[in-house]
Amino acid sequence: MTLDIESGIRRPKIDMHCHVWLMDGWEQSADHLVASGDMLGITEYWCSSVIQQGILAPVEDVRPHNDTILSAMARHPKRIRGWCFVIPGHFQDAIDEAERCLDAGMIGIKLYNQYRINDPVLHPILELASERHVPILQHAGYPVPEHRASQPLISHGIHFSEASEKYPDAMLIHAHIGGGGDWEHTVREMRQASPNVYIDVSGSNLDDGQVEYAVSELGVERVLFGTDGTMAGSVGKVLDADLTEDEREHIFWTNAERILAQQGATPTEPRTS
Amino acid sequence: MLIDVNAWLGTWPFRSLQDNTPDTLVARLDRSGIDKAVVSYIEAAFHRHPQSANERLARDVEPHGDRLIPVGTINPLSPHWEDDLASCLDLGMKGIRLFPQYHNYQTDGAESRSVVEACAQCNLPVFIPHRLEDTRQHHWMDPGQGVDLSQIANLIAAVPDATLIIPNARPLARSLIWMREDLRDLNWYFDLSLAEIHYGLHKSTNGMKDLGYLIEEGGANHILFGTHLPFSYAGPALVKLAILPVDEETLEDIKYRTAAKLLNL
Repeated sequence: MTLDIESGIRRPKIDMHCHVWLMDGWEQSADHLVASGDMLGITEYWCSSVIQQGILAPVEDVRPHNDTILSAMARHPKRIRGWCFVIPGHFQDAIDEAERCLDAGMIGIKLYNQYRINDPVLHPILELASERHVPILQHAGYPVPEHRASQPLISHGIHFSEASEKYPDAMLIHAHIGGGGDWEHTVREMRQASPNVYIDVSGSNLDDGQVEYAVSELGVERVLFGTDGTMAGSVGKVLDADLTEDEREHIFWTNAERILAQQGATPTEPRTS
Repeated sequence: MLIDVNAWLGTWPFRSLQDNTPDTLVARLDRSGIDKAVVSYIEAAFHRHPQSANERLARDVEPHGDRLIPVGTINPLSPHWEDDLASCLDLGMKGIRLFPQYHNYQTDGAESRSVVEACAQCNLPVFIPHRLEDTRQHHWMDPGQGVDLSQIANLIAAVPDATLIIPNARPLARSLIWMREDLRDLNWYFDLSLAEIHYGLHKSTNGMKDLGYLIEEGGANHILFGTHLPFSYAGPALVKLAILPVDEETLEDIKYRTAAKLLNL
C-alpha cells in the first residue's frame, strides 16, 4: 500500500512536546508555530520555555519563562497549552511555581537537564505531579560522551525506570526519542518501567525503524506524538512507520487524550475526522 | 515523477537497516511513491579501495535499471583512482560520491579538488553527504563527524564548473554555503531529508524556518528531493514536499526535473 501523505497530514494530531521561547518577538513566534501546525493537522501544542545547558538559575529567572507560556496560552487558547518549567533544586519555590502555573491552566511540569529524574531532589515534584494527576516531561537521551559533556545530568531510560519504581503512579515522559543519542539504548532501559512511563517521537533524528522500536519495546500506549520543532520530520516518521492505523491513532491522539483525562481535561478541539 | 537523490544499499556496521537490498529498496520506493533513487553501497565509505563495491553496485542494480541509479565512490587517496573513475563511467555510473570524513582527507584539499575537477570534465555530479548518521549517537569506531560545510563552500568556489550535491545537510539558510553570495549562481544542491521548512528549534523566526527561509531568499533552485533511505524514514521528505512553499513549476523541478538533468537521465 502506498503512503497516503496528503490524508496523513490532514488527520488531527496533538503535539505534546513543543516550545514558545522567552525572547523578543515571542508573539510572532507563537503565531508562526500555530500557522505551521495548520499545515500539518496539529490541533494543539503543549509548550514550554526552558533554561538550557544545565544552568541552575535562580527562581526569579524561571518565572518569566513560564509567564511567556501563560501569555502564549492566552494568545492562542485553543491551540497552545503549557508545561510549567521548574528547577527542582529550588525546593519550595519550585513547588510554588508549579502550583502557580498549574492553577493558571498549565497541564504538566517540564524538567530540563539540571537534575536527573531519579535524583531524590525531584521527589517533591514527582509527588506533586502524582497528586495533581499531571505528567512530567523531561529532556532526555543517551548521547555519546562528547555530546554528554555539556549536559552531564541528562536523564536516560534507566533513570526513568528507577524513578518509576518509587513513584509508579507518576506519568513520566522521556522526551524525544530522536533528540540525539543512542535511542535503542535508552528505550531498552525502559522495558521494565511502570506503564506510566512514556516516550515521545520528537527530535531531528529521523532514523528508520525508530517509532516501531519504541512501540515494540514499550507498547503503543506509551508512545506519544511530539515534534520539539521537527514538525514535518516527526509527522513523517509516524506516517511512514510500519504500524496499523489504530496504532498511529494512539500516537497522534489517543494517548495524549488519555493523559489529559487523568486531570479531568480534554483536547482543546474535539477530534473532527 | 519523483527522483530521490539520497538513497543507499548495503550494510551500516552499527545498526541493522531494513530495505537495504535492491529488491527490498525498490519495494520501499513503491510504498513511498518514489519512481527512481540514486544509490551507492554504504560499504564503499569504509573500503580503502572502493572500486570492488562500485563493480558490485553496477551488477546489483542492473535488474532494476529503470528504478535504481548507481553512483560510484572514489577515494582520492587510493592509487590510480583515475582508473576507477574511468571504470565507473564504463559501468554507467551517473555520479560520484566522496566521503572525506571516512577516507580521511580535507574536503577542500587538493585530493578532493582533483576528483571534482575530473568529474566536471566528464559532466558527472559529485555527491558529498554531510553525514551518514546523527553524530550524537555515533559508534566509537565511527568518525562521528559531519563534513564541514564551509570546506564544501571552498570546494564549490575552487571548481566552479562542477556540480555538487550535499545530502543530509542542516541547517541550510544559515549554512556557510548559502551565506556565500558569490556561490549562489553555481551548481550546488541540498536535499529535503533533514532540514525543516516552517518551524525548527531556533530562537529567531528566520532560523526556525531554515528551508522555508532559504526559499524566501531565492534558494529554491538549489533544492532536490532526497530521503536518506534506508537510514531514515522517507515520510519526512514526503511531508515536506507536500507543504513546500513553492509554485508548481519549481515543485516539479525539485521533484525530478533538476535531478534528471544533473544525472543526465
